[in-house]
Amino acid sequence: MTSTTVYLLAASAVFGIGVYGLIVADHILRKLLALNMMGSAVFVFILTVAGVTPEGPDPLAQALVLTGIVIAVAATAFALALMVRMFQETGLTSLQGHDGDD
Amino acid sequence: MTTEALTLLVFAPLAGALVMVVAPRRAAAPIAVLSLLTLPPALVPLTRAVRAGELVQLPLAGFAAPLGIVWRVDALAVTMLLLSVAVVLLVSLHALASFPPERESGQRFWPLWLILVSSLHALFLSADLFNLYVTLELVTLAGVALIAVRGEPAAMRAAMRYLLLGLMASLFYLLATALLYGQTGTLDLYLVGERLEAGGLTAIAVALMATGLLLKAAIVPLHVWLPAAHGKAPGPVSAVLSALVVKAALYILIRLWFWGGGGQAGEHAALLLGVLGALAILYASAAAIAQRRLKMLVAYSTLAQLGYVMLLFPLASAGAYRAVVFHVVAHGIAKAAMFLAAANLLRALGSERLQRLAGAGSRHGLDVLAFALAGVSIMGLPPSGGFVAKWLLLAAAWQERGWAWVVVISVGSLLAAVYVFRVVSLAFAQPLREPERAASAGEEQGRAQLTSVAALLLAALAIVLGLASAPLIALIDQGLPPGMLR
Amino acid sequence: MTIGVLVDVLLALSLVGLSLQVVTGRALFRDLVLFILFGLLIALSWARLGAPDVALAEAAIGAGLTGALMLMAYRRLAAGGAADVSPARRRPLLALPVAALAGILVAIIGLSAQGVERVPDAAGTLVLQELSATGLGNPITGVLLVFRGLDTMLEMAVLLVALLGAWAVLGAAHPGRLHQVDRETPLVSALLTTVAPVTLLIATHLLLVGTDAPGGAFQAGAVLTGCGVLLVLTGTVRPRAAAGLLTKLLAIAGLAAFALIGVSALALGRAPMTLPGMWAVYLIETAMMLSIALTMTLLFARSRALGPEQR
Repeated sequence: MTSTTVYLLAASAVFGIGVYGLIVADHILRKLLALNMMGSAVFVFILTVAGVTPEGPDPLAQALVLTGIVIAVAATAFALALMVRMFQETGLTSLQGHDGDD
Repeated sequence: MTTEALTLLVFAPLAGALVMVVAPRRAAAPIAVLSLLTLPPALVPLTRAVRAGELVQLPLAGFAAPLGIVWRVDALAVTMLLLSVAVVLLVSLHALASFPPERESGQRFWPLWLILVSSLHALFLSADLFNLYVTLELVTLAGVALIAVRGEPAAMRAAMRYLLLGLMASLFYLLATALLYGQTGTLDLYLVGERLEAGGLTAIAVALMATGLLLKAAIVPLHVWLPAAHGKAPGPVSAVLSALVVKAALYILIRLWFWGGGGQAGEHAALLLGVLGALAILYASAAAIAQRRLKMLVAYSTLAQLGYVMLLFPLASAGAYRAVVFHVVAHGIAKAAMFLAAANLLRALGSERLQRLAGAGSRHGLDVLAFALAGVSIMGLPPSGGFVAKWLLLAAAWQERGWAWVVVISVGSLLAAVYVFRVVSLAFAQPLREPERAASAGEEQGRAQLTSVAALLLAALAIVLGLASAPLIALIDQGLPPGMLR
Repeated sequence: MTIGVLVDVLLALSLVGLSLQVVTGRALFRDLVLFILFGLLIALSWARLGAPDVALAEAAIGAGLTGALMLMAYRRLAAGGAADVSPARRRPLLALPVAALAGILVAIIGLSAQGVERVPDAAGTLVLQELSATGLGNPITGVLLVFRGLDTMLEMAVLLVALLGAWAVLGAAHPGRLHQVDRETPLVSALLTTVAPVTLLIATHLLLVGTDAPGGAFQAGAVLTGCGVLLVLTGTVRPRAAAGLLTKLLAIAGLAAFALIGVSALALGRAPMTLPGMWAVYLIETAMMLSIALTMTLLFARSRALGPEQR
């Protein structure tokens, strides 16, 4: 068993756990935690699946992961801003219940 | 010429957004108009080149695939760009009035709007799987922000749900991208198509990618976020979300399937996609009939109309391709008109309950006319663009002996007729009581008229598309997917 | 099994354990802290996988920045009396099998993908071959700035959209005053006088070495954000209700610099996004670092601008 395999298995488990958290969580903040962990798992997956060059992990895959990390934090920051404003307007931190469609 | 044209399509709206962020307020309207008016001229050389049988390619920074990212324009990309520019310009006319650029609301709206346009164009041009991921994220984030731009609680909830599901969908797409890169060593969609071999891993990658894209395109049963997101968004935003943004995800799926080797997932997978489409048509049309709010009705109609696109996968013939691409254009224009008209009616009546529409036909004639004309196209009645699309699709299904599809298409049109006629007949019904008319200032009056004109122009275009369908069909035929014979 | 693999196994097990804790925990604050720990361990995993650039970015952005943003949002909810309310959880029977299936599926997919033979002319290999022509020593910077600059430019657009979107939903109200730490405390004043300048140095270092060694605009920007967060938390700079021209210029600087240089290649008869030389790399990276730092600090402070303390 190589290190790559170990991390790949861990990433798979974390991805599954993230899916569970995303479905089950009620609090939006918890859903975002789950999504971010799923994201990390996908990034590890990218690097392990891309394979290695003689000079280490595939540099293209590393660059893609870097881009992915920045996009993830930007999306998270915006989602948090939306969540806080939503809470201030409605007092709600969850998406459960009525959408007001009668 | 084509290099400059491609650059303009992405960079002009982007530059407009950047300048608007830093420029003084009074300059906002000219900046918006200027950056949008550069778009139609940019389409001329591209359309001409594609009509001449050319495949326009631009390796960015001069690096060809697989090292770099390539912009590639064929007939399908040009068709999407033509649709995008037409819809964006006319909807922007509405936005100039509903989000005046010099006011606070416009200052929030316009930079996001222009970045959305820029990223949509970057998406239609791109032939790189990871670059498509980035553009897709950009489109989604800008779309979500625009839904919530007015700060209304219901819209914010809808935006949040869209955002969470959209981010999850992106992760599915990204997983599949990693798999495809691992197998083929390239991110270029066309090279992936050449190098991909049929097999278990390929099927899984395609399934993952399709799941992510279907979630972004809100195909039943992955549609839960769309009705509220499109129904609660401001009018111009609903229009562009329904006309372009959901289509962008389907555009990538069609590209992947017919150009990127995705079709190797097999006939059963194609059939499954078609069945999902049929479900969407039947379920969402019925749900639209049951709606009590105008914009929610229109949003469910979008879900149903997206279903027709999915029929392309099992039919997989040149006739079906022609029909579906034509449908994407026709529905995009008609639905943009319908959402704008609905938003105008909502604003004028102060309520979006369908009952309140009673009597709107006489007092808000322009908007009801726009809604009705767009409805003609949505129902697929002659002489509209929607009629041509449905007719072509029926013919294609007939030719492939897909009798079940023929039934679904016909029933879908009947159901569409029910929900459209419901609105129109209500609008011409006798009002329960004569509502007092609010006296509005001259400027507001002018703005209201501009919004109605924008809706009516789009609706007229939806009809004209049926009367003059030949050039568009010829353009679509110019770029049939590889292996599909006319 | 070598020591190295043993370390990897322990790290991997901790990752799984932590994520399980975060998802099943009952106290939101504790789970937030565990999430940050998870991010740090992921960063360690990157280092173990031989990807120091990603490790740096993950530690600074994935764990540090994301964690700080989440904690701040938690505090804002708590201030409104929400976060401590134990959330009623749905426990749909479907969730567990779906999740287990997802995890197992990903594992199988990944493992079978490991067996796939690497394509000899994979894009990643080409990057290494073509790198010398760019004058850069770090292949990742080469991909981000030269070979796939469009991705990076659009990524800066994502960052700008996040900021504009946050501004749009901010509401008209003046940003709420945060509970601030006392600046007179020895520890805090030491932080301000030493750590702030040191982070500036580290950021500059990361930016400059990024062309040849691990580092670059993103890592540097994240470190600089740390400095900004410190200034916000100590009240050295305070939220402002309206953004001035300088704030706006800095916020768009990264995207604008990249787009402007990218388009100006047309004038020289080159393809768009072609960089004219090493100076362009440094210019774009500096602009991106400043934009990232400002954008993230503003998102953290939930404000349109920041300024010195004044009435």
